[in-house]
Amino acid sequence: MRRCLFSILLLCGLIGLPGTAPARVKLVALPDRSDTQINLDNPTATLVEEERTLTLQQGRNQVDFSWKGVEIDADSIRLNVLTQPESVNLLSVSYPPAEAALVWDLSSKEATDVRVRISYLLRNIDQLVAYKMIADKQETEVALKSFSVLRNFSGEDFSESRIQANATRAFEGIDLPHEETLQLLALDLPQVPINKVWTFDAARLPWDPEKVDGNVGIPVSYVIKNSKTSGLGGEALAAGRVRVFQRDGQDGTIFLGEDDIPLTPDGEEMKVYIGDSRDIVVTQRQMKKTKINIRRSGNRIILYDTDEQITATMENFKSEPASLTMIQHIPGEWTMRDCNIKYERKDAGTLEFQVELQPNSTNQLVMDFNRLNVR
Amino acid sequence: MRQPIRFFTTHKFIAAATATILLGAVLPAFAKVDLVTLPRRNAVQLTIYNSADLTLVRDTRDLTLVEGENTLQFSWANTLIDPTSLDLRPRRQADQIDILDLVFPARVNNVGIWNIMSRAVGKVTMDIDYFTSGLSWRAFYMGTLTPDEATMQLQGYVVVRNDSGEDYENAQTRLIVGKVHLLDQIAELSRRQYPYGRPGMRPVQTPMASPMAMRSLKNAVMMDMAHGGAAESESDRFEEAKEIKKEGLSEYFLYTIPGTETIPNGWAKRLPSFDVADIPVKNLYKYNESRYGTNVIRFLSFKNDTEHELGETPIPGGTLAAYRALEKGADARLSYEGASSFQYIPVNEDVELNLGPAPQVLVDITRMNTTTKDYLFDQNGDIAGWIELETFRVRINNTRPVPAKIEIPRNAPAPLWTIENSGDCGRYQKIDAHTYRYTLELPPATPREFTLLLTSRYGRRAE
Repeated sequence: MRRCLFSILLLCGLIGLPGTAPARVKLVALPDRSDTQINLDNPTATLVEEERTLTLQQGRNQVDFSWKGVEIDADSIRLNVLTQPESVNLLSVSYPPAEAALVWDLSSKEATDVRVRISYLLRNIDQLVAYKMIADKQETEVALKSFSVLRNFSGEDFSESRIQANATRAFEGIDLPHEETLQLLALDLPQVPINKVWTFDAARLPWDPEKVDGNVGIPVSYVIKNSKTSGLGGEALAAGRVRVFQRDGQDGTIFLGEDDIPLTPDGEEMKVYIGDSRDIVVTQRQMKKTKINIRRSGNRIILYDTDEQITATMENFKSEPASLTMIQHIPGEWTMRDCNIKYERKDAGTLEFQVELQPNSTNQLVMDFNRLNVR
Repeated sequence: MRQPIRFFTTHKFIAAATATILLGAVLPAFAKVDLVTLPRRNAVQLTIYNSADLTLVRDTRDLTLVEGENTLQFSWANTLIDPTSLDLRPRRQADQIDILDLVFPARVNNVGIWNIMSRAVGKVTMDIDYFTSGLSWRAFYMGTLTPDEATMQLQGYVVVRNDSGEDYENAQTRLIVGKVHLLDQIAELSRRQYPYGRPGMRPVQTPMASPMAMRSLKNAVMMDMAHGGAAESESDRFEEAKEIKKEGLSEYFLYTIPGTETIPNGWAKRLPSFDVADIPVKNLYKYNESRYGTNVIRFLSFKNDTEHELGETPIPGGTLAAYRALEKGADARLSYEGASSFQYIPVNEDVELNLGPAPQVLVDITRMNTTTKDYLFDQNGDIAGWIELETFRVRINNTRPVPAKIEIPRNAPAPLWTIENSGDCGRYQKIDAHTYRYTLELPPATPREFTLLLTSRYGRRAE
């Protein structure tokens, strides 16, 4: 069932403008819409461009563009004359009172057919991006698919339209009636390399899992680089939801988890959090924390240093090795006296350790440090 | 058997009046389609998660395709299927079959239509994957201790429950152990009026099926079950219990139940998971005032490793009911020792099951004396530091007829502290900057007493 909610009328040149709505005469011709393009490359607004042929008389012509049951940003409506632009002038645009409409006042050098492109921002039609990854059993690569999910709740039916999904990808000849949702395959890459990483952040996870009711999991992520070497690159990967599966070796899959990813520019990494590992256990303890070099004003301590030791035991109960990223935080001014694992200082108070955990092994981090000039 | 999920394949050039009626009843807007076939379900595989209300279903059917354009309609009224998870894949001839798109038609609920371009002709086996809500499983365990409480027989079970609204007949059933990261509840996704919601609005949800509809579903199941009730009795041969196959995948463990199971909507099924005897166990009694108050709590302790006859796979979280055989022999009477819920236990990890208070093991810690000394004063005459000495008497009594291992962790709040013990205090251990612990092993019906002197340094005495 087709809906026709837009109307474009060529009006006789006899009407008075501006006038009250009931006084306006609206009928000459109803030009068909063709070559419709729906631009979804901007996630915040959808631009519709459609082309029509107008039969103009010599002299003044008024083109009435009105809509009902759809939400159009009236300020966004543009008229562009494609054929014979030098013989047609747009004289003015008028907005009739209490109507979802506008009237273009055109002047034509001669009686002729001209092709025009009308564009406008239309609400309630958009695109979601959904990704599906299927990892191999060894978790070294994924088959990556992305889908454009087109949702049309604009009130208007579109047929044989061109959908511009992003700067480089378009779908041709798409029918998209009002209230229809359409899922189209956009990207299909059978082998994209991944890195699997585990991350323990001492500021976010409990230090002693035994004192927590319930299992404490270490977050696990797949990292994909949006680059040519991965079979990707050349364009940003749109923000969207990723569902991750893994082949089970029995001609089937299991579902590993899902995550929302932000826009991933060309050359950058997409990190997909898939769930928590309960086979990597980190137990962290503060073994020492004493005040030293205390300065007083009267009886009040005004400045001191600390002498601290933190230990973290990392247990890998898996039968495979695991790459653990451990993040530690030391606030304020500090100096490391002794640390048995090399770290990278990510910012003033954040230390990142890369620890390769062997299968069924236990590693220990021991940090001896002083916090300085604590007030 | 009732089958809420329906499939239709359609081809646009053959006419058949009966089929048109069928399709028209489901989807009037597509009455132009001429032929409808209802492909039979060849096989169905359920992969059920226990950390979330989530099941991955693989539905395998033979579709008859013609060369050119084909459509496959999938409808799921009165089920809990997440339509955003629908995925269609040919098992073979994938290079000749293109899944063009998936349409959720306007103004029709619970219907998805795949448009398929095929260069293959004839029967093609397709997998349709989707998520559904309403199927769940849980693990539970029975532990039976020997009379001396030295070893335990551990029997594990899984219970699979189907409240999905769909009957699953002869389904290969797999269970996933592990915590999956989900952003939306599958049940909520299944109730959306529009699969992906509407632009610029929160997802619009339609109400659950009416109570009448639910009743109707249940009645249908009952009728189905009555009708199919001969299935169990028709097999007269003796059968072995199924042994669940276990396998690690990523951060999960996959339990595959051999063969197939029929689980009608509303029914649950209990299956044995494992049965291991002679697991060496330790009975551990903990007296931890900061966590358990003045109760002694009994823990049953073992390790999920090969030395303990386990260790092949992690043990899914569940509830263990512990019993003790009062005498040896298969016909021994039992006493109930307590129950404990526990979380996922990785391979090689120690297990501690909290069986609750153990009034037969007594621990009493009494402060016998407190003194302070060595005060320091600042220039204003205020106290700047001191040393506090606290003496505690620790009395323990194992009144049970079996040995008992007792742990007593305690806190030391001072920044600097030392301990002096007198008497048989067992093993003393400093745990961290503010915690220390005693571990004692007492024979049956044995008391024990020792004294501890805690010296705490405060203020400048701690520098």
